[in-house]
Parts: sequence; C-alpha cells; structure tokens
Amino acid sequence: MKQNHENKELIFAALAGALYTIFGIFHIAEGLGINTATASQLFVPGDILGGFCLVVIGAVFLYGLKEMKQGINAGVSFVYVGILMSLVFMGAYLLIMGGTLLDSFIVPDDYEGWSIMETFRPGIYLGLLSLAGILHWKDRFSLNEVLVFREGA
Amino acid sequence: MTEKITVAITGNPNVGKTSIFNAITDSKQHVGNWPGVTVERKIGKRVHNDIEMEIVDLPGTYSLTAYSLDEIIARDFIIEEKPDIVVQVIDATNLERNLYLTTQLMELGVKMIIALNMTDLALAKGDSIDAENMQEFLEIPVVSTIGSKGNGIEGLLDAVAGEIDKTQFTESVFTYEEEIENNADELGSILGTDPYFAHYPLRWFSMKLLEGDENIIKKARESDSYTRINEILSKIDADSLEAKIADQRYKTIQAMLRQVCDINTEHLSGSDMVDRVVTNRVLGIPIFLSLMWAAFEITFTFATPFMNIIDIFFGWLAETATNVINIPWLASLVGEGMIAGVGSVLIFLPNILLLFFMLSLMEDSGYMSRAAFIMDKLMSKIGLHGKSFIPLIMGFGCNVPAIMATRTIEDTRDRLITILITPFMSCGARLPVYVLLAGAFFGRDAGVVIFSLYAFGILVAIVSAKLMRSTILRGEDAPFIMELPSYKIPTLKGSTIHMWERGKIYLKKAGTIILIGVVGVWLLASIPAPGSGGIFASEEIYGSTNSVIGVIGVMLEPLVAPLGFDWRIAVALLFGVVAKEIVVGSMGVLYGVGENEASLSAVLAAGAMTPLAGLGLMVFTLLYAPCFACIGVIKRETGSWKWTMFQLLYGTGLAWGSAFVVYQVGSRMGLLA
Repeated sequence: MKQNHENKELIFAALAGALYTIFGIFHIAEGLGINTATASQLFVPGDILGGFCLVVIGAVFLYGLKEMKQGINAGVSFVYVGILMSLVFMGAYLLIMGGTLLDSFIVPDDYEGWSIMETFRPGIYLGLLSLAGILHWKDRFSLNEVLVFREGA
Repeated sequence: MTEKITVAITGNPNVGKTSIFNAITDSKQHVGNWPGVTVERKIGKRVHNDIEMEIVDLPGTYSLTAYSLDEIIARDFIIEEKPDIVVQVIDATNLERNLYLTTQLMELGVKMIIALNMTDLALAKGDSIDAENMQEFLEIPVVSTIGSKGNGIEGLLDAVAGEIDKTQFTESVFTYEEEIENNADELGSILGTDPYFAHYPLRWFSMKLLEGDENIIKKARESDSYTRINEILSKIDADSLEAKIADQRYKTIQAMLRQVCDINTEHLSGSDMVDRVVTNRVLGIPIFLSLMWAAFEITFTFATPFMNIIDIFFGWLAETATNVINIPWLASLVGEGMIAGVGSVLIFLPNILLLFFMLSLMEDSGYMSRAAFIMDKLMSKIGLHGKSFIPLIMGFGCNVPAIMATRTIEDTRDRLITILITPFMSCGARLPVYVLLAGAFFGRDAGVVIFSLYAFGILVAIVSAKLMRSTILRGEDAPFIMELPSYKIPTLKGSTIHMWERGKIYLKKAGTIILIGVVGVWLLASIPAPGSGGIFASEEIYGSTNSVIGVIGVMLEPLVAPLGFDWRIAVALLFGVVAKEIVVGSMGVLYGVGENEASLSAVLAAGAMTPLAGLGLMVFTLLYAPCFACIGVIKRETGSWKWTMFQLLYGTGLAWGSAFVVYQVGSRMGLLA
C-alpha cells in the first residue's frame, strides 16, 4: 500500500518536473529570439527570467524524484514544496492577468487589438497539475497557524 | 581499587545533554565557570562498576570547527584536556544534523559512545532506528536513552565502563576524494615530523587545515613547520575543499541513515519539509531568486491599473485646479507645483504597497530567516556575515531602519561594511523612478528592467563589500549562527498592517518633505533669474533656463551632460538628495506635467529623454548619495563623518561612472536607439 503511495509521488514528480523544465526552456528560447510555432500555440511568451523560474520549479520536482529513487523518503518534501511553489506562481500569473484586464478597461486606447489570451501562460495551466496534486494529497497540508504536513495520508 | 576517569558529554544544542548529565550525576554535581570565561561549567561525579567517573557537561556544539565561545570551549576541552571517553548525545528525531558532529568526533580519533536520546519522541513520530545496526556501521557503542525519564542511563554507564577497559579501538577515518586525501597526507607527513603537533590527532589537524579553520591555522602559525604548511595551503581553495569535505560527510551520513533507520516522512513537520527544500545547497538560492522575481513582477504588473487610476485622478485634479483658480501664479503653484509634483509621487503608492506587502509575507512566514541562512555562504565569500543579509533585504523597504538593524552584527568591521553598502539596496523611494522610466521606455519588459536594477544594486553591494574587506577594512569573517523560527502561515491582517505601517511613512513623506520639496522646486522654477527681466511664474519663465532653477541646472549640466542628462535632470537629482521621491516630483514640475494631459511617463517617452539616458538615470538614482535621513543615520551609526563622507563620495562616484558607461558605451554600440 505504502509502495503504491510512493509510486504516485514518483510519477507526479517526474511528470511535473519534466513539464516545468521543458516549458521553462521554451520561455528562455523564445526570450532569446528562437521562435517556434509550437511555443506560440502553447501560449509560451519570450521571458528569460520567467523561464528560469519554471526551470527552478521543475528542478525542485526532479530533485525530489532523484532523492526518492535513491531511497530517501524525505525526498517527498520536494514534491510538496514544488506543488506549493507552482501554485504561488500560478497565483502570481493570475493576478497579473487580472491586473492587465482591469487596465485594459481603464485605458482602452493602450489595448487596441489586444486579447486577454495574450497574458495567458503555461505557469497558469501547468499550475492545474499542482492543483490536482494538492487536491489528491490535501490531507498532507494543514493550514493551521503553524504549517504542518499532517500525519498519515 | 577504584579507577578514576573523565567522561565528557557533548552534542548539538538542545539534544538533552543536561538531562543525561543530571540523570547520571543526580545531585552530586557542582556548577562554576570555565576558566577565564563566564560560561557555565557543570561537573558531577558517579561511581559505576568500581569506576569513579568525573562527568563534564560541555556546551552545545554543532561541529568541531569552532566559531562561537561555546564551541571553542567544547572543542578545546576534548583536544587539550583529553577526556578518557566522550559521550555524544544525539537527538534521535534529528539524526542527519546530529551525526555531522559524530563524523568529526570520529575523525578526531577519540574513544566515544553515542547516547541515542529522545528515542521515545522518534518512536512517537513513527521513525524506527536500528541502534544495533548503527553501532555496527559506526563501530561505536550506541545506547538508546530517554534522558528526561532516566531510561537507558545504566546501560550507558555500562557501555562507558566496557569501553574504557578496551585497550584497542578502531579509529574510524573517512576516505575523501583524491585531491583531499593527497593534501591531507602531505600535511600529515609535515605535522608528524614536528614535535609541536605531537599533542594533536594529525589526521584531524590536517583536515581542519584543509577546511581553512582559522583557529587551527592560528595554532599552526606558531609552529616551526608553518612555512611548509603554508606552501600547501596557498595552493588550495579552502572554501571549495571545505564544501567537498562537508558534502562527503553528509553523503556518508545519508548512506548510513538509509541502512539503519526508516524515517517516517508522513510525520515530518511542515517546517522540516520546507526547510529541506528552501535551504538546499543547490536549489536554495535559485528558489529565493525566483520568489523575489515573482514579487517584482506582481509589483509592476498588477499595480499598473491602480497607478493609471491615480494618474487619471491627479491629471483631472491639476486641470480642474488650473481652470478654477483665476490668479495665474496660484493656479500654476497648485496645478503644476503641488498637484503635479505630489501626484507624480503618489502615483507609485500601489507599487510601494504591493512590494511591502510581499516582503511582509516573506518575513511573516519565516522565509526571510531562511534566505539569510542560504545566503550566508555567498556572504562569507564576500567577507560578510550571514546576519548582514537581513539589513540588506530590509534595505529594499527603506535604508534607514536597515542601517539601524546592523546593530545585531557583533563584528565592527562587518557592521561598518554592511552600513556602507546598504544604500545600494533599492529602497522603496527609488522604485517610483524605476517604474516611471522603465514604464516609459521599456513597455512590457519594465518588470525585467526593474528586477535587473535590484539585482545590479545587490551586485554593486557585493563587489563593494569584497573590495572594502580586502583593502580598507581587512579582517577575518565571523561564522553564521542563527536559530531559524518555525514557518507560519502569514495572515492577511498581519501582512496588511505591516504593509500599511511602511506605506504610511511614504504617504507622510508625500504630504510633508515631498510637498515642501516640490513647492520649493516650483518656486525656484517660477522666480526669474537675475537679469532675465521675466515675470514671476509667467509661462516664459516657469521651468525655463531663465528661472533661478534653470540657472542652477545649467551650471550643473556639464557635470551630467556626459551621462545624457539635461539640466532638468541635474536639478531633480540635486533635490533627490532630500528624498529620492523628489526626483520624480521635480521632474513632474520641471517637465510641466500639470498643464499637459499627457503623463510624465508619456512626456519622457515622447522624446524628452532617450531610453539609454533613462536607463542611465535609473542606475544613477540607484547608486548616488542616499537621502538626508539615510545620511543622518549613517553618521549616527558609524559615529564618523569620515565614513559618512566616504559613502557619499564612493556612491556618487560609482553612480556617475556606471551611468557614463551605460550611456556612452550604449550610444556607441547603438543600443536602445
């Protein structure tokens, strides 16, 4: 039973780690002027620093994967913290999206021909994966005054 | 016949050493001070199996690289006094950290026993530790104890008695990578031929030399072999070797942990889990940078609509005031001076509040302490103390309290350097200048430009610290010791209060110093220069080179012309020394924003300044002389006009040089044309 549980975390870490790293690299490549049609279809902006952040989140997941594969059970910490980080970034991008939308109403002249989808980015839809993760492992996260990953699952 | 032995009890702080000591000695103990220092010294007696044991409770220590007084006492006792046996008390709930000291004691070659304490708590957490397996792995007796209840004490004393009779014991030595081993062997052969080192375990002494342990190097300096030792040490990078040695020790510990225990991760606290990740040696700094970048991105982008609302409001207010007031000079004072000037500053309130809110979230959650912890390695590389990081981060809010916060740094040189470099951290007052210029010239990349300026400020601070440490403020760096608080979920109320407390200062400034400043600028911009023949506050005079301010500006212009700035910027920068917000306020007045519908940002973007000069102006604002309040606090905290003047001249010189490079090199390369 416990083995199944760990397997789920291993698969999640591998998937999230790979996706965040790949999308981060996409962002950086676009930022460096290497444009691909795939990137634009996936709403990837040219953003070197934003791409760096996604690579960092990916690295956190992959580091957890590495530790868990080495038999270090505490490696699961990286999966949980990776989930928290990706949700922080998802929230940040949603705020930015909301702010830009609000601004387009305040100064419409600056936004002629603009669509809200221009602010949509992988940090938002990749965050859905973490949202699924936190829903699945919600018993591990407790929002008491002191942050505690609850005992048992 | 009774045998007499000395038993030293050592271990990390708060692992239950004293409860073990009390359980062993009962009431047969006395308390005094260590010779020469006022640190508590506890000695007790116990007779067990006909052996009279003198038990010495050593101060808590994390490692044998002694930094603090407590650690020096503990290490010197073990090395110099040579107790017959050392009992290391280990917190069973935190094996990884505690075993680091074990690896060092093992290298020291002392006869030792491990008291695996708090095993009840470990069991309650669901951890299972195989003490026998651990004993086999380490080749050291391991006894499970619960010091608070006195459990396992007899077993521990039996182990001491058993171990003391052993005539042979294995000196466990770790094998490191080839480079370290070769250097250790080379040093060992030198130490072995010098009677001065006969008192010390040679392998351990060699490793400490390779780790760059200042205390040990100091001892080595007193020997006749130091020239030869120094020849080897001068060829190696002690920082890099220290990291490799620590890495090897942790790898050994992890290998052992995998074999001897099953840590129940489902019982790891949130703090432990988050700490494992955010203080990770590889990922810690990238995670910190990512979070800071997210904070700046939100600060710039999410605040934009609110800035526009304030901008539209002040534009309307200035226009209305100008239309309503019939007296031309008064209309100009209120519209172009007060409203436009103060409005140019207040427009950035959303950015300021958002930035403060996010810094508050990081501080309130306990993350900032971790940031200091992960930055310590980098800080020590530049010759600063980890504690310097907190004032520097505080400097992002306001340099004044940040400089006052350096009082927590004990070392006077560390403190002085931190004071001198703190003004290079972009305070909230500089943010309006960045937001204005980055917004005007860099559009959607404004967030990146602003983040880069913050990063550039940090870089300048680092380089300056390194420069000062290696020249005018030479000295040894002190180690970083800091208790990390538990993480807390920051409350919206708490962070909002912190944000408001800081934002209030900005608002107060806007209503006082900045208002006075912009009125002063307006006045000087309205008074005709002697001999110009103009009329006070007339359109021909106001903000022109025929006004008093124009004359001052024109006089200063040659100083800033190589940077691509005109006389208006020269004046704005001059007034910016009063408070950095006045730079924007003055520009608002001097570029006559009040009477235009276009905002200051639009006026600048329309050609009042080139993007390259804009970038140079941001760099100049970042580095040049801090505000009056900051200058005052530098004088107060350093107690010296000499250091205060040094900061002003050094900062302004750097500012001029950097802006010159940005503008001149950029122009020649055709950048941002």
